[in-house]
Amino acid sequence: MGFELREIHKHFGSVRANNGVNLSVASGELHGLLGENGAGKSTLMKVLSGFHQKTSGEILVDGESIDLRSPADAIEHGIGMLHQDPLVFLPFTVLDNFLIGSPGPERLNRRAAARELATLADRFGFSFDPDTPTRRLTVGERQQLEILRLLWLGARVLILDEPTTGISAPQRLKLFATLKELAAEGMSVVFVSHKLEEVEEICERVTIIRAGTVVGERDLPCPAAELVELMFGGEVEIGERPVVGLGPPRLTVSDLTVRDRMLSVEGFNLEVAEGEVIGFAGLEGSGQRIVLDALSGLRSANGGTITVNGRDLTKVGYRGYLDGGVQFLPAGRLEEGLVAGLTLTEHFVLSSRSGAFLIDWEGALAETVEGIAEYSVKGTPDSTAESLSGGNQQRLLLAMLQDNLEVLLMEHPTRGLDIESAAWVWEQLLRRREDGTAIVFASADLDELLEYSDRILVFFAGGVLAEVDARTSSVDELGHLIGGKVTS
Amino acid sequence: MTKSKVSRVLLVFVALALVAAACGGDSEPVDAEGFTFGMILVGPQNDHGWSQAHYEAGQYVAELTGATMLVQDKVNPADLPEKTVDQVAADLIAEGAQLVFATSDDMRDGVLLAAEQNPDIPMIWSSGDSAWEDGKAFAELDNLGNVMGKMEFGKMIAGCAAGLTTQTGSIGYVGPLVNDETQRLVNSAFLGARYCWEEYRGETSPLEFTVTWIGFWFNIPGFTLDPTQVANEFLDSGADVLISGIDTTEALVEAGKRASEGEAVWAVPYDFEGACAEAPDICLGTPYFNWGPAYLEIVNSVVNDDFKAEWQWNGPDWDNITDNTKTAVGWLSGDGLSSGASSDLDDFISGLADGDINLFTGPLSYQDGSVYLEDGEEATEFQIWYTEQLLEGITGESAGE
Amino acid sequence: MNFADLWKRSRIGIIAVALALVVGILLLLVAGANPFEALGVIIDGSLGSSIRIGDTLMVWAPLVLAAAGLLITFAAGLWNIGVEGQITFGAIAASLVAREVSGPTWLIVTLALLAGLFGGAFWALLAGLLRTYGKVNEIFGGLGLHFVATALAVYLVLGPWKRAGVASTSGTEPFPRESWLPTVGSTRLSWLAIVVAVASVFGVFYLLRGTRFGLRLKAVGKNMRSAFLLGIPTGPYMLAAFALGGGLAGLAGAIQATGFHHKLVPSISGGYGFLGILVAMLAGYAARWIAPIAFVFAMLAVGSTLLPLKLGLDSSVGGVLQGVLVLFTVLAQGWQSRRRNRADEAALGPPEPPVIPGEVG
Repeated sequence: MGFELREIHKHFGSVRANNGVNLSVASGELHGLLGENGAGKSTLMKVLSGFHQKTSGEILVDGESIDLRSPADAIEHGIGMLHQDPLVFLPFTVLDNFLIGSPGPERLNRRAAARELATLADRFGFSFDPDTPTRRLTVGERQQLEILRLLWLGARVLILDEPTTGISAPQRLKLFATLKELAAEGMSVVFVSHKLEEVEEICERVTIIRAGTVVGERDLPCPAAELVELMFGGEVEIGERPVVGLGPPRLTVSDLTVRDRMLSVEGFNLEVAEGEVIGFAGLEGSGQRIVLDALSGLRSANGGTITVNGRDLTKVGYRGYLDGGVQFLPAGRLEEGLVAGLTLTEHFVLSSRSGAFLIDWEGALAETVEGIAEYSVKGTPDSTAESLSGGNQQRLLLAMLQDNLEVLLMEHPTRGLDIESAAWVWEQLLRRREDGTAIVFASADLDELLEYSDRILVFFAGGVLAEVDARTSSVDELGHLIGGKVTS
Repeated sequence: MTKSKVSRVLLVFVALALVAAACGGDSEPVDAEGFTFGMILVGPQNDHGWSQAHYEAGQYVAELTGATMLVQDKVNPADLPEKTVDQVAADLIAEGAQLVFATSDDMRDGVLLAAEQNPDIPMIWSSGDSAWEDGKAFAELDNLGNVMGKMEFGKMIAGCAAGLTTQTGSIGYVGPLVNDETQRLVNSAFLGARYCWEEYRGETSPLEFTVTWIGFWFNIPGFTLDPTQVANEFLDSGADVLISGIDTTEALVEAGKRASEGEAVWAVPYDFEGACAEAPDICLGTPYFNWGPAYLEIVNSVVNDDFKAEWQWNGPDWDNITDNTKTAVGWLSGDGLSSGASSDLDDFISGLADGDINLFTGPLSYQDGSVYLEDGEEATEFQIWYTEQLLEGITGESAGE
Repeated sequence: MNFADLWKRSRIGIIAVALALVVGILLLLVAGANPFEALGVIIDGSLGSSIRIGDTLMVWAPLVLAAAGLLITFAAGLWNIGVEGQITFGAIAASLVAREVSGPTWLIVTLALLAGLFGGAFWALLAGLLRTYGKVNEIFGGLGLHFVATALAVYLVLGPWKRAGVASTSGTEPFPRESWLPTVGSTRLSWLAIVVAVASVFGVFYLLRGTRFGLRLKAVGKNMRSAFLLGIPTGPYMLAAFALGGGLAGLAGAIQATGFHHKLVPSISGGYGFLGILVAMLAGYAARWIAPIAFVFAMLAVGSTLLPLKLGLDSSVGGVLQGVLVLFTVLAQGWQSRRRNRADEAALGPPEPPVIPGEVG
């Protein structure tokens, strides 16, 4: 089943998110939709899947013009969308989630549905226990479940919005294989991404969107530089890794034990030198986050010691770590870092270590203007944090960091950022490293890990499976390790 | 009670009033065209209870004399937090009221203040004792009088009806909050019940008489006990007649539900003449207040310029306890009363009327064993008004000091 | 700002008030009253004489205090539904002083107001401790404590503080005159109550706008996790918000006891806590709108008590009019925020990539 979008406009107030987009995808085609953050890709796909209603334009499915008022309408016409954050009800079981949104009589035939789920899962080599709460699934598995659900509902057009965000390398490979199989069966697949390599890897054709309009359409393969130029209007250079001499140990972790309800990391040891960058690799939830939590004082250690510059911080609590020059930027910028609803100026006031009771708003404004300029944040002092794009939120967070940190911990430092912003973020991080800050970061992006780390610790099921030298390792090796296979 | 029934009761009321006007009662109604009096009610004017009785008395007076009544209802700190009684009195006076009735025990402070601030305006605090020189709380104010009905008679009759009817020998009393007045009424009901149980039915086993105080005059969820639940607990624990001392009719309603399921249970509501209507078949009768005659007299006195700040505690009209042109306290028997019990009850009432029966005669002891009345001693009004405890023989809580 | 801008910014409020007026007029017509006459009665009844203005302001003062206190807890993201209980407990504390302390008026009154302040703060802190350390949602904790405070007031009125001879829910014996808030002329208006209420509005305005404490409180309210990561001790800040908000509510209670009822009654709070929540919401949680909105409510409350007397309307009409006003304003705000959300969505472009918390399994 093919579809066509003609002259789609989607305006929010005065903002034109889509400004006359034309797109045509044939049956059985794997079509890429490429563009930097904010280009209008997601909006377009939400129009196609019924989440947004178009301002004007026409949607045709198999040559027939249709009118979509809701996602339910869209799925009825065979259009299903897999969102960046799979729309899963976490407390529900796999089967409940599978059944949600299924049309038909109120009485659900659970047994039949379970059978169909098993059949579908078999076909693609997935495996689900229908009674597991979805909370226990990894993001990748949630995605798989969502794809099966859409197929079951009769989707013939499948839209995937940044599907590789937050899933592991093996899961990504599996996803790609599935998509190819679906296309071979005649499904139209739209793959939305800002990651060039991925689009190049699986798509046959790609449409590039910039500022709400289509700026080009290419058959793949096609030179990467050409695509980059279309996306950004100019080529971006990725800097080479600077060579930094490592100094004396900054952070020493010995025999650390840390647990949460689901997972326990035992006997973790790590020494990070001044100016060293350590990468944590692994499937989501293999222990990276709880170790980072322990290293930042957010979670108290169940055993072992953590010392920074020879000072034992094991028991001082989160604010003790802050005072000791240890800071952590979790992945959720608006959830764990910024405060939606507060302005940039207010953020700068909050991050300053001043203890004065009254706020000097004029001074704070001056400071903010300076910070905005220094970190090239696209926003005004009065902008609220949530009005910034992801890249600018990350810039703001970096601007709010203390100067001269001893240890900087980060989780997914460039997730969701376009190449330009990601490169800029690392420029800042590497500058801090030159000042002697020890950096520990977790990432799902293997290229990022390989490019910026000195050493990489691969987590698997709560333990460190391997430590590799980033200079000599490869995406292949890391991918295998992350999946739990030790190559030797 | 449906609206049409309310209006039927009102019609009867008005008809009676007109008859009374024609025949002439104790006090001839004056022509009070152009006279205005104010009525402050603690609850809604259509509460089928205490406040409605005052409201209808006011209507009765207005009907007979041609005076105008101004009504402000729901005057209590919960329903009307923004005004106190003295403010409402000031509003009424500003609107032209030449006489103000404050009709709740709860209005004491406000009406005292209002009387002090408006010395030229006569006022009545119903159910109060501020004008009783020999009372415990006399306040010297020339313009503030009190009116109260001797409901102890109504409650003795109610108790008697219960004592004549109970099969299990167990009576439950759903009480409001504990104070002198409510203890007085519980004691009266108990005395009436015990008397009729022993004298007319010849029972020798002791009568079980239990009171549960819900904490206020009506149900306030989360704050009082739930009278519905209290009523059901009584019925579950063997009581087969409920006497209500609260403003609302839960006891009657619950007993009615049980009766429709085949149980042999009865109830006696309170306050309002038409209260039996909620479950007429098992209603033994209602003791009620009838403020009309007293209020008429007071309006007359103000119009005739001979108002005196008196404390009145008016008894029933023993010639005809349901004569609403005269009696201050009435009793209306219900359909639930058997004919045998009915004749015993009539006998009891006439005994009360001619003084043969005086239940407030010693020996009587309080719950804690202390003597209330010596052997042969008859209670004074003071002893009855200021009842400190429940009597021995009643199960339930007395006011602690 | 020119006229067009002003219209654009406030049109929703104006439409809401207009709709409320229309529905109110219809209701009055159904009730058989002339709406303009009714409006006249309300205005005359609340502002018609110096005494009536005084009466209105004595309703306004506790309402403003409750609403101002609620702004602090709202800023911290807390639904301090227990505000009624805090008013009640403040009133109880003030009553204790008014009953037990003898001395010159200035001393008793000062002590009574302080007792109200600390009493309300204490009661709110209990809800706060339940919230921060007991993991009991402040809505449930607050409601529970509200019932406890009311039960305590009833117990005192019917028990230890009952009047000689007669226990009645009409309240305790009136306080000695020395412990009544001093009034202006022959009105019931206490200048002290007004001073306290006005000071609370200014205090809350500057606290939330100009101080580091206020800003941090807002951060805690909008995103506790981020606030904690920014190094703000969130638990103590929430407790401080409870204490300050409860303190102002307690002051309202002290004024109710020593300036209005002059005794402790079971329903001493007058419902001003719940009404204060509405005032705070209608004010859009902005301190500068509290005083005028509370004044409209006070006018309606005081003025509409004359509707039954003058026009023979049912005494519940005033409450219904208040309800209509609240309903339409809340509807208008809902509408406005829906529109704003759409506009925000537009300004942002497509939503950001999701955050997958590092939760395990």
